[in-house]
Amino acid sequence: MDETASKLEQCFQIAFPNLDPAAISSASVDSVPQWDSVAQITLLNLIGEEFAIDIDFEEFEGANSFSEMLARLRERLSSSNSN
Amino acid sequence: MKLSEALSIVQKAPTDAQPFPVLLACGFTPLHLENYLAAHLQTALPDRKVRIATGLYDNLAGTLEQFDPSGAEAVAVVIEWFDLDPRLGYRKLGGWGQRVAANILETTEATLARLEAAISKIPAFVKVALVLPSLPLTPAFHTSGWQASGPEIALRELVGAFAGRLPSHPSVLLLNEQRLNEQSNPAERYDLRADLYSGFPYALKHADALGAALAALIASPQPKKGLITDLDDTLWLGLVGEDGHDSVAWDLASHAQLHGLYQQMLHALADQGVLIAIASKNSPEVVERALARTDLLLARDKIFPIEVHWEAKSGSVERILKTWNIGADSAVFVDDNRMELEEVRAAFPDMECILFPKDYAAGLAMLHRLRDLFGKPRLAEEDAYRLATIKQNRQITESGRDGDLADQFLSTAEAVITVEWNPPATDRRVVELVNKTNQFNLNGVRYTEAEWRQKLQDPNRFVLAVSYQDKFGPLGKIAVLAGERSAGQIQIDTWVMSCRAFSRRIEYQSIAQLFQYLETPDIIFDFMSTAKNGPMRDFLGSLLERPDLALTREAFLAKCPKLHHEVIGNMDTIEQLR
Repeated sequence: MDETASKLEQCFQIAFPNLDPAAISSASVDSVPQWDSVAQITLLNLIGEEFAIDIDFEEFEGANSFSEMLARLRERLSSSNSN
Repeated sequence: MKLSEALSIVQKAPTDAQPFPVLLACGFTPLHLENYLAAHLQTALPDRKVRIATGLYDNLAGTLEQFDPSGAEAVAVVIEWFDLDPRLGYRKLGGWGQRVAANILETTEATLARLEAAISKIPAFVKVALVLPSLPLTPAFHTSGWQASGPEIALRELVGAFAGRLPSHPSVLLLNEQRLNEQSNPAERYDLRADLYSGFPYALKHADALGAALAALIASPQPKKGLITDLDDTLWLGLVGEDGHDSVAWDLASHAQLHGLYQQMLHALADQGVLIAIASKNSPEVVERALARTDLLLARDKIFPIEVHWEAKSGSVERILKTWNIGADSAVFVDDNRMELEEVRAAFPDMECILFPKDYAAGLAMLHRLRDLFGKPRLAEEDAYRLATIKQNRQITESGRDGDLADQFLSTAEAVITVEWNPPATDRRVVELVNKTNQFNLNGVRYTEAEWRQKLQDPNRFVLAVSYQDKFGPLGKIAVLAGERSAGQIQIDTWVMSCRAFSRRIEYQSIAQLFQYLETPDIIFDFMSTAKNGPMRDFLGSLLERPDLALTREAFLAKCPKLHHEVIGNMDTIEQLR
């Protein structure tokens, strides 16, 4: 697992403390009952804090799973780097 | 604090601890303010499990109007401009500018009146921490941003008047805007994107600062009681032994203003009931001459005791604490010498030791620090005569070295004890005494105001509050006893007496009152030893072979010394208790 995925897992662990760490990589809105709109904002703020980036909530709209979050995050980080 | 840290603190809170329920009343999505408030409160109250409940979105007044006092020990009220009129925010498009300004003022006035009415209905036993609008006003006014417009000034006046009326409510604690400004830059507080996206208007840093500020109001530490100060290069600039009593300085012209400000601060603290003492390595006669100077800003009679000699300062501090009858954790020691500070700190690890600084910025910070350490939410009547009581105590103690002399002293003291059976639940001094007293304390059990109130609902329960005064002045309400009558037996589970009231036989009179008015043959005390309640242990030990045995009327009378108090009070109430 690369550093980005590992750090994202940490964010998930803090946002969803009851989630089994082994299940984080397959987590989605459907499998995590606590993942509501408030949890989504908390998660995004944690990601912003962890990766020291200014998160645009709308950029992550529809990212309803760990894998989708990771994909959008990679995209966001690469665009930051290229800028 | 980072958000991840805040969430971790909340998640790691002890699940089986006694809950500390708090209502967070705000008109926006509470989101991270809730997390930060919980985290800061949890840090301040590690033995409790902080639980935050939140109210209605977009209806701050409604949340307060529906507040159920049985469900919270404290309420954090966070008001923003858009709570007063939605047009003062960015989520509603109701119009800006001169056209609506008058109407916004009308709505604001009406909303503030509604908030005030709701807050005034919150019972006194629930702490209310309140934040006035902390976000900038919108650009809704006709002047340029540099110029304050009439409506803006009027809005601030309305809020200021509202704030001015609130301190009359016994439990409202208003956040000091100046301190918040130091912690959170006003220009960086608002997050438009978060507000529009989620209804949460704060940047994380501001949410953190607000959460910390609210927690500091709700779970403030006990104010310190006494300050022990050094003299040379501390209370004044210069070495009195070398420079002479008339050459030490504390004025602007001598570049010694910081010492003058410090003296002024100590005088103000003394006026609010803080005990001030001196511990200095000097010759007593030289110091006396300096303290006799009429331009001293700290009145000489505000200082007691004065320890001036060449022995170790830890010994001076020990004697001062004994005279004051307070613990090291209730006192602050100020000295300009690091070695002296370390020597005192080593002897009293619980004592706050402050280095008197050489530079102005640190000096200013120290003055603010002293305010924080000694600040009280409200001044009580007792604060005004604390020092006089301690001076009087020393007189009694010194005469008490001979039993007959003590008896003679007390017999001429014209002591009057006022007993108050079952004082009203709204009497905050009673719970305050129970929670603040360490030494003469039956078992160290503390109560929140809500818990105390709850216990009073038991018809078998009784409370005795004792006040004292003599020819030297009043001590105020200084003792509380509480317990239950069950199957004809009296069981005392709460008994505290302020250390200021020692040596006056008030403890004996209190028991005498129980025997006399509750008509009981014996009394059981729920004694439990604590780290600090030695005086209570010794007192019960003088009456009973073991503290868990019942104290019979006969045994008490055999050991009770002569009591010289005149006792007055609401004896008629006792009929309802029998």
